[in-house]
Order: sequence, then C-alpha cells, then structure tokens
Amino acid sequence: MVVEKHVMFRVRGGLDFTCQLDRTDESYVKQTLGKAFESVRSAVRSPSLVFGVQNSPVFLWPNRSLQATRQGVTENTTCRELQQHIQINEGDSGKRSSKKKDKKDGTTSIINVDLLTEVTEPVLCSAPMLFRQEGKHHFVKMKLPADCVVSAHMDETIGDVCTHLVEALCTQLTNMEEVVLRHRSGTSLPIPEPFHFLLPEPVGLITAVYPAGVPDTQLEPVRKELHRRLELPDDRSCMRRANAYHFPDEPYRDGYLRSPHLALNHPSLEGTKLYLVQGIYSYHHYMQDRMDDNGWGCAYRSLQTICSWFQQQGYVERVVPSHKEIQQALVDVGDKPASFVGSRQWIGSIEVQAVLSHLLGITSKILFVSQGSDLATKGRELANHFSTEGTPIMIGGGVLAHTILGVMWSETSGEIKFLVLDPHYTGGEDLQVITDKVWVTDLKPRLHFSVKCKLSCDIVVFVKTMSYPTLTCLSRAGVVGRGRTSGTNGPTTTSACPSDQGPYEVGCDIIVMSLTPEDQLHFTRIIMCLNKHTRHFKKKFYFLSVKNCIQHA
Amino acid sequence: MGRGYIVDDSVEKYLVSLQTASLSSLTGLLIGQSLPQRDFVVLAVQTPQKAKSESDPSERKPVHSLCDIDTEWVTQHAKQVSWTLPGGLSVLGVFLITPPDLEKEAQNTLRRLVFSVEKLISKGRLWSLNEDDVSERVGLHICSKTRRAVCRTFDVQDAKSSAKPADWKYQHGVSDSWLVLKCSVELHVRFPTPDITLENLEKSTKVSLQKWGNQIESSICLVNGVRVSSDSELISGQKKNTKAFPSNLRAQILIHNVRKEVRTCASVQVCGGVLALRGVVHCRAYIHSNKPKAKQAAEALKRDIMNTVSYRTEMFFEDLLMSEADGERGILGQKQPLPQRVFASVPGAGFCVCDYMFPDEGTAEVKERLKETLDCDIPEEEVDLTQEVIAGELLLDLTDSLGGGGNPIDPLFNLKYICLCWTVGGNPHKHGNHTHTPHKLSRGCTSTTSRNPAIHTVLQCHLHLCSFYSLCQII
Repeated sequence: MVVEKHVMFRVRGGLDFTCQLDRTDESYVKQTLGKAFESVRSAVRSPSLVFGVQNSPVFLWPNRSLQATRQGVTENTTCRELQQHIQINEGDSGKRSSKKKDKKDGTTSIINVDLLTEVTEPVLCSAPMLFRQEGKHHFVKMKLPADCVVSAHMDETIGDVCTHLVEALCTQLTNMEEVVLRHRSGTSLPIPEPFHFLLPEPVGLITAVYPAGVPDTQLEPVRKELHRRLELPDDRSCMRRANAYHFPDEPYRDGYLRSPHLALNHPSLEGTKLYLVQGIYSYHHYMQDRMDDNGWGCAYRSLQTICSWFQQQGYVERVVPSHKEIQQALVDVGDKPASFVGSRQWIGSIEVQAVLSHLLGITSKILFVSQGSDLATKGRELANHFSTEGTPIMIGGGVLAHTILGVMWSETSGEIKFLVLDPHYTGGEDLQVITDKVWVTDLKPRLHFSVKCKLSCDIVVFVKTMSYPTLTCLSRAGVVGRGRTSGTNGPTTTSACPSDQGPYEVGCDIIVMSLTPEDQLHFTRIIMCLNKHTRHFKKKFYFLSVKNCIQHA
Repeated sequence: MGRGYIVDDSVEKYLVSLQTASLSSLTGLLIGQSLPQRDFVVLAVQTPQKAKSESDPSERKPVHSLCDIDTEWVTQHAKQVSWTLPGGLSVLGVFLITPPDLEKEAQNTLRRLVFSVEKLISKGRLWSLNEDDVSERVGLHICSKTRRAVCRTFDVQDAKSSAKPADWKYQHGVSDSWLVLKCSVELHVRFPTPDITLENLEKSTKVSLQKWGNQIESSICLVNGVRVSSDSELISGQKKNTKAFPSNLRAQILIHNVRKEVRTCASVQVCGGVLALRGVVHCRAYIHSNKPKAKQAAEALKRDIMNTVSYRTEMFFEDLLMSEADGERGILGQKQPLPQRVFASVPGAGFCVCDYMFPDEGTAEVKERLKETLDCDIPEEEVDLTQEVIAGELLLDLTDSLGGGGNPIDPLFNLKYICLCWTVGGNPHKHGNHTHTPHKLSRGCTSTTSRNPAIHTVLQCHLHLCSFYSLCQII
C-alpha cells in the first residue's frame, strides 16, 4: 500500500461582497471596489472565520490562534493526524466494503474544507443599532465563489496549512478584484470564478480566475498571457474552462460518469502495449436524459461520448448534443427529411460524421473493415491513433455501435484486445457495474454480428483540424463507425462513401463489403432508388426490398 | 390517548387562585415547551383587563355569554407574551375559566381563541416549521365551581380539525432544572431600500431579514464547542451524574458561506438609501432537562435569534409609525438603537423571561410591563441589563473602523479585544443579589459592580478601550 506523502486542502465558500456605487467614473469605481474587496479580505482574516473540515467534527479558527473544536486537535497537529478524524464517505452499498481499505489513502488525499463564519462570540459588544444612510446609489451585491487549494506535506502542521489557506484566499480575492475591474461595464460586475488546472510538472495545480458569462473565445488574451507566463505550448489548449481539473472526489454536476475506464485494472498480455484514449470524456448510454432510446440510440450515445471528449478537452464549447439536436443537424445538412426529428430511427457512421462536421466543425476519416475479425488487422492504425490523437473511436457493425477507448496491441504478434465502452447499458451510473467486462479479446461477442450472420463492419476515423484564432489546437482524430451490414449471401453490396449525402433512411439493415469504387457507386444508386419508393417503410421491409432490388439490378 | 401535558404545580396554584378570585369568565394563556413526545407547561397567565374595566374593577359584571370575550385582545396579549419568552418557551394554548352554565359554549370559544392566537403569533416569523414541530395547541377549560379541568387539543395546521382529548397532569418541579443555551450574536445586515419612506424601509427590512434568517436557520450550532449530531442527546456522557449537570451551555453559531452559481454577474439594485443593522444581540434557549435532544436545543436557540431580531425591528417600526401618527415625522436618525433585551428570572422557576427596553425607559417600566403581560411580580433589581450593552460613541466608531475595511486586524489586537469584550459582555454573573462581585479585568485591575450595571459596563468598556489604545501604542 502506497502511503501518500501529500494531501490537498481545498477550501470553498461564497464570500459576501457588497458595495455602493453612485458614480461610474473609472477612478471612483476602482477605489470603491478596492475598498469593498479589502473588507472581504479583512473578513477572511477576521477571528470569526471558521474552517469546517468536511466529514469530520473538526472546526478550525485559523485567525484565533487556531482554536479547534475537537479535543486533541491543535495548531501542531499534523495533516496525517487530522486525517484520522475524517470519516470516509463511502457509498452505502455493501459491495464496496471490500475495497474500502485499499481506497482509504486515495479518497482522503483531498481534505475538503467549508468556509464558515461564526456570528457568536463577537469581537465587539454593543446592542443592536440601526444606521441610516440616504442618497441615490447602486447597491451591488454578489457572492464571491472562493475556491483555493493548498498542497501540504503529511507531516506539516495544520497551523501552517491554515495560514497558507488564509493567504491563498486573500491572494485569490486580489485576483478576483483584478478580473472584476478588467471585465466590468458600468455598474455591471461579472462574478469572478476560479478554475483549477493541473499542468505538467513542475507547475502542478494552478488557479486562474475568469469572469462568469464571458465566453472562452473572448478570454483569449488572458489565456495567452497565462500560457506565456507558465511557458505552456501555444498549440494546445490548457487553460480553457473545459480543461479545468476535476477533483476525483467531486461528483460531476451533470451526473454522467467520467472516463469509467480509469477505474479498471487492465489485464496483462505479454508483449503488448496499452494505447488509451487521452483526456476525459463522459459516458453516455441508453436511457439517460429521460430519453428511452433502448434499442435504437446506441450510435447517438456513442456520438455523444465523442462530443463530450471534444468539449471536455476544450476544443469546442458546445454542450453535448441531444438526440433531437443530432437529428436536427442531420436535417439541416440535408441528410434527412424534416420528419426525422423526433423519430426513433437509427443513425450510422455517415450520420455521425455529418453531425460532427456540422455541429462541432470536426472533419473525420472513415476506416473500412470488411469483416469484424478484420478489425484485428487495424491494430497499428488504432494504436497510432490513440498515441497521437487520443480521441475515442466509434465502431459500428450490424445493428450495434460501440466506442473503443483503447487497444492493447502487440507489434510483434499482432495480438490485440479492445477496450470497449458499451452504450447499450441501461442501468444507473454505477461504476462497479459498468467496469465489469469491458476488455474483450475481439469484438465479436460484443457486436454479435459474427454469430448471427456474416456481416461486416466499417470504422470511420475522423481526423479533424481545428484552428482557433491564435491558440491552435492539435489536430485530433476521432474514429467513428457504424457499419451498414447486410446478411445477404456473400459479399454483394457496397458501402456508402462519405461524400454520399443520399436521402437514404437511417438504420437500414442493408449494406456493405465490397470496396471497389464501382460497387460503391452501384450501391449508392440502389439506395437512392430504394429511397424513392420505400422511405416510409420500416427497416425490415428495407431489408427485403434491398435484396429484391439487388437481385433485380 | 391524546397528547400529554406535564404541568408544573405552580400553574395549578395560579389557576386555583384565579378561580377563587372571580366567578365570571376568564381567559388566559398557557406557556411552556412543546416537544414531539409531550408538552411541559410551566406558566399560566391571565389576560389582563382592558383599561376601562380596570378603572372600576368592582363593577365587573358576571359574564353571561362568552361572546363578550374579545378575541383580538386575547391574541394581542398572546403576541406580547410571546415577545417576552426566550427560546424554547412558547405559548402552547389557551385556558378558559367559566361558570358551569357556560360549559357548552366554552369549547367553541376555546377553539376560536386557540386558532386566532396561533395565527397572530406565527405571523412575520422568520423561521419555518419542521417535521418535529407539533401542530397541536391546547385548550383547557376549567369550571369555576367544580374546578373540573377539561383538556383538549386542536391541530392548528388543519382548520377543520376537531378537538382531541389530552392528558393534563400536574407534577412538582417541572419548571426547575432547565438547561440553558446562551450566545451573543453579531449582526451585520444591510437593508437596501428604494427610498427612505417608512413604508419602504419596513418592507426592505423584512426582505433582507428573511434572507438573514434563512442563513441562521441553516447554520451549524456548536454546544460547548462541539458540534452535536442531530439525534444525539444534548449532554452525552454526563448523564450519570445528574448533580453535576452543566445547566449553562455555551452555544456558537457558524454560518455557511454558500456558493451560489446561478448568476453570472453581481446583482445591482437602484437604491435611495441603506439601513444597516449592526450590533450584538443576546440569545437564549431553555430546554427541559428530561433527555433533551441536541437538535431541539439548537433549533430553539436559532429561533430565539431570529425572533429577537424580528421582534425588535417590528417594535421599532411600530414605534416610528406611532410617532408619525402623533404628528411627529417618524423619520429615524442617523444612528438609532433598537430596544435592548433585558432578562428577568421568574420567581420560583428555573428560567428567565425577557423584555425589550427602549432607550428612554428604565427597569421600572420593565417591571411594570412584565407585571401586566405575565402577571408576575419581578423585583426591579432582578432585571438583568447586562446581557446587551448599549455602547457609547467611542465603541461604535471603533466598530466602523474595524468593520469597514481598512487595515487587516492585528491578531494580538484581536486577542486583547476578545478578552475585553468577554469580561464586559459575556460574563453572565448575577446582579440581582447586590453582592459586590469582584470583576476581574483583562489587565489585572479589579472593579466592583455598582448599582447600575449597565452604566458601569459601559464605563468599563471605555476604560478598556483607553488601556487598549495605550497598549497598541506600546506595541
């Protein structure tokens, strides 16, 4: 068991800020705001400030010669000793109790601290008085969302830590003041919001304050400055809000699980190397967002997972699109009729590509594989993709879509395992359940196509190059795929190529396999012809019609 | 079996004395503590006579109909009474003494009174009821001839509820051995107002006080420096030795600084003025010592904090409105003290009641008022003025210089200052018995409390400030 040497103290709370503005000229406002911020700072330094250590009975008065509520906790108590007072809030399920011991050190490596104010035992005593002040003015009021992190060695005393925390709070208030002054307009003051970023060593965790309501695009000069100061590369976004460090103990507000594969113990396979998705994504699957898409929404979910990756790495600000937004986008690009919106029809890799391009501005590449088992031959490409681009890959085959998060590949033997995220999951956001059986030797059992009928799948690799006005991001590639497969006897038809914007219906169970350009053209024609007649037919009819059509052709 | 009321035998004595004193109908209030399991009744107070009948008490005619009972008068009295009650004690219901012939009417009258009393008392409350609160109030009917008491309860949350029988039991010593939680709460509330007309001031004050009240309601309460879990008993570990019961508990209130993330920019309000409420209020909650729950104690104290502030502002505005009606312009000055809270222990009981004293009043007025509202004689010198200190200008100016930004406070400065204030304000020694208690001051000099403790404390305060300033200079 590895014993952590450091512990992070994170103090959070909303500090009351009020000021009265009766003019708007620069120097006056600056002075008034300065005074108001100073009084917030003096509140932070006042003896009535209390740190409440979460999940523990310990309260600390950092400015009252570190008074503490718990007997035995003094100024000289070390962080390690303090940890003894913290109860770990492990979930209630009995299943996890076995894991409790192993996790103990991990979960307490962050000590969360609430910011409280004691209103009793006042510094001054005088009976209540009402003070009246007349005069027209603007009464400005906000809660400053203070959020400071201080890293401490386990042997450091909490007296020192508290001093650091108070200092950190004061520094943050000064930063907030700068941000408010810089971004205010008239009497409208933006709420300054701190964000933490985990940068590569030696910088580590740093905090930046951004004004709320001002989009990242407008904050570029600020970020440039930070990049320069911190000597960060200009071709990668590190300081956007979406890059903000997410503390492991904090649940995501949207309720989606993040990067569930990180909780896995990876199997060892001799001679193989692990290539994994880089960065954070959220896990989207069936039945989320009060949307009953069981049986038809897997590609939508896979697409959402990919979109979440782009958003959470800070490449796009757009929130993850809903089913309806995805459908609307496909209508907007002319890929689908208007009636498609609100329907329960499937989408495939082509649609996914179209949506990524339309909504996120991401261009992409499709890899074709004639058969599910052939995917194993793409080991080098996939490994290369994960190490250079690092986006999740969507893979489609048959009626199913999955997301590949990584491969375990041996360059010498070609042996390969896929790390698959399954959007067909319908349960709750329980990491325990989800992380079971994620690694598969090959895709067959997960995708079902090899058993039922001879189908194939194709993979679409999206390569995108996005440039921001100044901070150019690395080109990131995403792989997406949804094979249109058919259970016809032998290789017959073709795959639709990306340029094909044909009005074929979604989710049809036709397709695939031949990769010759002639066949592609041929097949496109068939589909186009089909669609004229069978647009409103259910997909099963399609299936038959296609056969007929092909035979006919 | 309905609710159980455990009643102090002093209440019995009082009720008996009322029965023998008059043969006519008589109303009054029952006061005590309401707990989920049972209620403790510790005080009964008859409704004072209206001024006109007081002028000639001998002419009081026997009432033949209960229609003569003035509901508004009774409810107003109930409101006055509830203002005198510290945390933990409240008006639990109404009693009615009638001759036997009016017995039938009595139930309806009691019902009417119980409901309207509750309605008026709960008006303007800053706190809300929780699941532990009992919504049943008692209506006690006593026949003046047979002395038979019939106790019933009414669910005040349900206007259609019918009376339920309840158990009324006298017991000795219910009002002894109460635990008391004490704290002084510092106020710093601002009330921005569109203009400074009285009406708007009152309205804006209410709005801001409500927000402040919510903060208090959701605050953390520490008892004797320890956070008590909600379901635990107030004093754990010390139960075995009831003799060494710590009857005086120190409470601390910690307010959450909650982050709100809904807004993107600061709220801006166009104002014509601002009222600021600053100062320290002393708060108390009395808890019956029969296995008290920490949660109830904390709740009672928080409610006392909210009540004492809302009562005072209400009184203050009432006073202003009255002087406005008198033709004076009810405009308030730059600095205006709110009524000061004073305490007085009820003779023979283990708890105190309180009163609010306007700056131009003295202990004589307090005594008189308590006599009228609570029908109990409290010697003037028993009135404890020391819990809240009306400070002089110097102190206030210092408050300004400390609170209004400026330089960060030197820790040493604070330390001295806390000592100082503690000796002045927080020390709950009794002034009533006139022993000249030596009063140790922080810098080693001693003094004795004089006859007028309030003035003395202020003097001490000033003395301290002077010594303190010189101390600062030395540093």
